[in-house]
Amino acid sequence: MKMEDMSLSGLENTKLEALAHDVYSDLVEDACLGLCFEVHRAVKQGYFFLDETDQESMKDFEIVDQPGVDIFGQVYNQWKNKECVCPNCSRSIAASRFAPHLEKCLGMGRNSSRIANRRIASSNNTSKSESDQEDNDDINDNDWSYGSEKKGELMHSNPNSPRRSKSLKHKNGELSSNVNPELYKYNYSSGISYETLGPEELRSILTTQCGVVSEHTKKMCTRSQRCPQHTDEQRRAVRVFLLGPSASALPDSDTMLENDGYDAPDGQLIMSRLQWDGSSDISPSDSASSKASTNNSESKRPKKKKKPSTLTLTTTGSGGERDKGQERERGDRDRVVSGGSGSSSSQNALALSSRKKRPKLPVPPALSIYDDLN
Amino acid sequence: GAQISEFSKAGGRLTEMARAVANRSRALQAILQSALNIARFASPTRDSHVVCVMSPAGCSHVNGFKVDNWKQNLRVIYQCFVWSGSAETRKRKAKSCICHLCGAHLNRLHSCLHCVFFGCFSKKHIHEHAKSKRHNLAIDLLYGGIYCFVCQDYIYDKDMEQIAKEEQRKAWKLQGSPPPHHQLFSKTSGIGEKYSMWEPTKRELELLRHNPKRRKITANCTIGLRGLINLGNTCFMNCIVQALTHTPLLRDFFLSDRHKCEMQSNSCLVCEMSQLFQEFYSGHRSPHIPFRLLHLVWTHARHLAGYEQQDAHEFLIAALDVLHRHCKDDNGKKANNPNHCSCIIDQIFTGGLQSDVTCQVCHGVSTTIDPFWDISLDLPGSSTPFWPLSPGSDGSVVNGDSHPSGATTLTDCLRRFTRPEHLGSSAKIKCSGCHSYQESTKQLTMKRLPIVACFHLKRFEHSAKLRRKITTYVSFPLELDMTPFMASSKESRMNGQYLQPVDSLNNDNKYSLFAVVNHQGTLESGHYTTFIRQHKDQWFKCDDAIITKASIKDVLDSEGSVAHIHQCSDV
Repeated sequence: MKMEDMSLSGLENTKLEALAHDVYSDLVEDACLGLCFEVHRAVKQGYFFLDETDQESMKDFEIVDQPGVDIFGQVYNQWKNKECVCPNCSRSIAASRFAPHLEKCLGMGRNSSRIANRRIASSNNTSKSESDQEDNDDINDNDWSYGSEKKGELMHSNPNSPRRSKSLKHKNGELSSNVNPELYKYNYSSGISYETLGPEELRSILTTQCGVVSEHTKKMCTRSQRCPQHTDEQRRAVRVFLLGPSASALPDSDTMLENDGYDAPDGQLIMSRLQWDGSSDISPSDSASSKASTNNSESKRPKKKKKPSTLTLTTTGSGGERDKGQERERGDRDRVVSGGSGSSSSQNALALSSRKKRPKLPVPPALSIYDDLN
Repeated sequence: GAQISEFSKAGGRLTEMARAVANRSRALQAILQSALNIARFASPTRDSHVVCVMSPAGCSHVNGFKVDNWKQNLRVIYQCFVWSGSAETRKRKAKSCICHLCGAHLNRLHSCLHCVFFGCFSKKHIHEHAKSKRHNLAIDLLYGGIYCFVCQDYIYDKDMEQIAKEEQRKAWKLQGSPPPHHQLFSKTSGIGEKYSMWEPTKRELELLRHNPKRRKITANCTIGLRGLINLGNTCFMNCIVQALTHTPLLRDFFLSDRHKCEMQSNSCLVCEMSQLFQEFYSGHRSPHIPFRLLHLVWTHARHLAGYEQQDAHEFLIAALDVLHRHCKDDNGKKANNPNHCSCIIDQIFTGGLQSDVTCQVCHGVSTTIDPFWDISLDLPGSSTPFWPLSPGSDGSVVNGDSHPSGATTLTDCLRRFTRPEHLGSSAKIKCSGCHSYQESTKQLTMKRLPIVACFHLKRFEHSAKLRRKITTYVSFPLELDMTPFMASSKESRMNGQYLQPVDSLNNDNKYSLFAVVNHQGTLESGHYTTFIRQHKDQWFKCDDAIITKASIKDVLDSEGSVAHIHQCSDV
């Protein structure tokens, strides 16, 4: 029959159904034909056999759904000893510590500026031991304890190290009375032996440094006047002891922050802390001191007009914002905090193509900063 | 010995298939039968000539045809009678293709290649013609296969197939609405190739024959899933990587080696992404260590680096941005216009958000469209009020409504997102119609939806007074129809057409969920995990190095921080 001549309106239901059925079976047959051609071609071209799979090895890849094991049938948490090679420094690093290492390795960590400053400052000094210490900064990826690294010792892997618990205790700004034994090791090699110094030298040293004599090493503490390890009482005592009763007064706070030669490393870093730290609860690693070091990168970020990354209504502020004022606790796994975005009802800011910066939080009382040094 | 068993296996399957279609049609059976014969025929005990039937699938009888202007003639036949690209060609084909002997339109019509003759195959009319005129070749008008009457079988000649493929592609392009899968790769310039099946070369066939241990990715297979080692608080990165490696289109792009790197250095993130897919599909069961990925992302997105607490969503945006920047070289063209990038990232993830600002005085509307990669949604429980929604929000019931007393749904959040918002007297906008500052309302709608859309629930509140995590449960659906939130829907509503009938055949705005990122814990310390979907309806939980099976209920009960949805028609 010719196609043009058909008119469906005048047909009865049964005829319509028959027609529909014909159309349907033609369609199905055509579809089957297509499949047949595919198979035919596959056989003729010689790749039909590729469909065959090796049943035995397929079994190895079956999904496992049982408690205590993952889908591969492996027990959880057996991957502790993985290592990788840092693309930057080519050192072999434990995989679970790679991120903090990379942070410092690339010089973008929050402590990297401090370390760099220390290096610069200590290169002005004759003390070799300090510069030796700094080499360990890369290994020691937690700068919780300022100056407490010992060469070659991977203390970060010990979750029970006294440093960790100490930082938790110091939330409220109290000085700790327990001193990390490792600190002694630092002082041991870089302290000053008072016996060899004359009174003038002692005096000048005592105007800029803590000076408290360690019981273990018999050397004077080279930290600043506000060194948290020792109390003011101790400092007064040592001045009396070394310089006589007239020298018991500690210099006032104005002169404390001047950068003298010896004190330079500490003073600068502490000053930088005063500038940048947020609330008293934070510890140095998440202070905004790294913000200073990443400020350059922020300005380098291209201002995009139509690029999607800036536009979302999230008005996601610059990366550093969310970190301010956040507490960090040492957990065994992750303490990832999400900063999410800025204020929630800021859809009006959609039109902005650059990210908003949040105002800096006020400077905390100085005492709290030192908690982290222990 | 191995070869024989292979052939007999192939033969066995073919026999099965032949039996299965026996009821359908004798003609179909015949095709399979011929294939069967070939499979049986070519066994190694025969002489080598016969075995070689496997490699050249053409025949010598086409040589008589390949003279003069045969290519052009063949093209014309394909264009007019086989592949119809437009409505006119379809009509023409339907009207003119008719058996010259019996007048039938169907019955597997074939066209003679040597002259203008149509004959049906089922009634052997084309065979008669071939015999009487000694025209040995005919073409099947339905699928374009070439039949040789001397060989009495369909043959596959390389040159002729090439022409057939080209003409088919042209026809696809002409078609008004090609299937979205093809649309993705054919409508944009530069990446204009339709996906075609992989065909092994002779050498590859040989190699495969010698290595029979093959694995296929079936529904019960772990290939494609792999854990990721936590590098030190990098679960924010791991969770996003899992979502990306299970984005079907992205996976297809990378597994088919579509990235051709033009970066001189080793620091192309797209290459690393490609490598990541290789790792995921390698079959290795130990978790992968994504240290190079971290290094590259931090190198290229410095603003992210150096923070130990990081936001998964922030990482997603940064990663997409770097990938997009590195992808620009893929086009081969100088596609440096940021507004018209056609890299894979833009094709998959970029949508257009329309912002309409309406002046309250003159009712003039100023519209801007900005590209977006994700949609950040406010939640109830934050310090800005969620309920009630402003008047004028849509009343569509497409996705199921909820009201303040029930659980908040994702649709609620979307409705809030697209509600008209009075900007208030303190935020007057300069109206070009009134030439002065006026109060106005602003409304956001979706102008163009990306193929993969990411929703980000703003659970972390950072206002001047407080920082906290909003743990309000938001229910999200497995399937989502985005139609009510489109700019086009809004226009219809404004024109008075409320409650549009749901076009169930139009799948353009229908999306299905395939990844959900969750954050457990508090603002101060927490951990990210992801649920991802594989093989249509199997869900898995990715917790750094540990991948376990999950139920749909686990997924839907979870809190949800970032959700990825995929356009339905593509999966």
